[in-house]
Amino acid sequence: MEALNAFSVSLQAVWNDSGFSAFTAGNGIMILVGLVLLYMAFVKEFEPLLLGPIAFGCILANFPNTGFFGEEMNVMKAINFGITNEIFPPLIFLGIGAMTDFSPLLARPSTLLLGAAAQVGVFVALGGAMLVGFNVHEAAAIGIIGGADGPTSIYLSTKLAPHLLGAIAVAAYSYMSLVPMIQPPIMKLMTTQAEREIVMKELRPVTKFERVVFPIVSTIFISLLLPPIAALLGCLMLGNLFRESGVTDRLSDTAQNSLINIVTIFLGTGTGMTMNAESFLRADTLLIIGLGLVAFMGGTAGGLIFGKIMCKLTGGEINPLIGSAGVSAVPMAARVSQLVGMKSKPGNYLLMHAMGPNVAGVIGTAVAAGTMLAMLK
Amino acid sequence: MEHSPVTTNPLIIMMINMTVVFIVLIVLMYLIKLIHLVDPTKVKEEPAQAAEDEEPLVAVKSSASTSAPKPEPVDEGISPEIIAAISAAIAACGISGQVKAVHIVNHEGTAWRNSMRNAQCLMRNGRR
Repeated sequence: MEALNAFSVSLQAVWNDSGFSAFTAGNGIMILVGLVLLYMAFVKEFEPLLLGPIAFGCILANFPNTGFFGEEMNVMKAINFGITNEIFPPLIFLGIGAMTDFSPLLARPSTLLLGAAAQVGVFVALGGAMLVGFNVHEAAAIGIIGGADGPTSIYLSTKLAPHLLGAIAVAAYSYMSLVPMIQPPIMKLMTTQAEREIVMKELRPVTKFERVVFPIVSTIFISLLLPPIAALLGCLMLGNLFRESGVTDRLSDTAQNSLINIVTIFLGTGTGMTMNAESFLRADTLLIIGLGLVAFMGGTAGGLIFGKIMCKLTGGEINPLIGSAGVSAVPMAARVSQLVGMKSKPGNYLLMHAMGPNVAGVIGTAVAAGTMLAMLK
Repeated sequence: MEHSPVTTNPLIIMMINMTVVFIVLIVLMYLIKLIHLVDPTKVKEEPAQAAEDEEPLVAVKSSASTSAPKPEPVDEGISPEIIAAISAAIAACGISGQVKAVHIVNHEGTAWRNSMRNAQCLMRNGRR
């Protein structure tokens, strides 16, 4: 009898400690959301490197009684620390910098203006978010989705609206992966056949001196002007300096391979871990996803409009299609410009020209984030 | 230190931010031009680069459709044996046609250029 009693008490204790006893319908829905995201990542291959860990983190976050965010330190808490203390986004930027070739931008600096124009989506979404009832901090964090820059979106959200981090990160990475579907119709709608057929002149050669000095000068200038983004921009340019210096191949290799891969796992999983049912299953999430789309479309349109202006001002030397690459989804947005250009005129290679506004967009989004932090924080 | 926002008017925030973004990137644009202007290596590297761009097209009329192409004399540092090997490799992949030109690729600091070159090759071969 005593043994039976002990067995019964033990079973009850196991049940009470299990996740099943505290499992809610919300947890179930979020696990389903995680499974859908996993399907999109691994079967449909929408940004699998990031969406995969985010999806799995979302599933993990919805197991009750795991103690992930209790008082004791554990691996999940450590990963979350890297997210909430803005450690991972700058490290991702270090790797991005090591992978980025700024030569097309240095060869044609005027394409920086296209990177600036594409940020219009950020501010349109910011205004829209405030109009539908978000406060100014939340609106700024939502607006940055339009920059199509995942690490910057996460960086700004953790500083201005940490409770919206999960929804913003998912929206940002989802739209980044949907660039080839979202942008082409807007590009075709806003440009004429003649504009799409413009063949651009070959870019001038860029010397090693320019490639080495640019990251140093831009870091000094932007970090002094906008200190809140010194970590982001500094890491981007440090990574680029590793690449361009020609004497730090090992560091460059580590930054653009091992380091960025490791941090991507942590960043993705940690972001997914913020998607628990209590914070994600709200009407706000749908609004954020909707506003993110507006931001993204606005950014694409802004870049294209400025591309058309530059086309007129230069007497038809600039193909406006490269304007849409001003959103900073590198290099996907530039590849979309290339593909749409190629469809309009086979043999018209716009990729190199589109890389200029594309990398300018990365800087532009970071500057937009820094400006908002300076104004609002 | 945290302080309250200077304004909560969406339009003003949008205008101020857009202006700042444009100003920063315009200044950056002029900084890039300044770097190009003061570049001490510009004079030495640009003619060298131009020469490099013109030089490496090496005309070759060997046939890729035959297993043993007849390489013609090449005087730009690419030996006829290499041309023959390239032609044979292409033929082995089942691609018929002629090798019209062999281009020496400069890999230094040209990731986007290489990416574009790969994209061109894939498109030319109808793989995308």
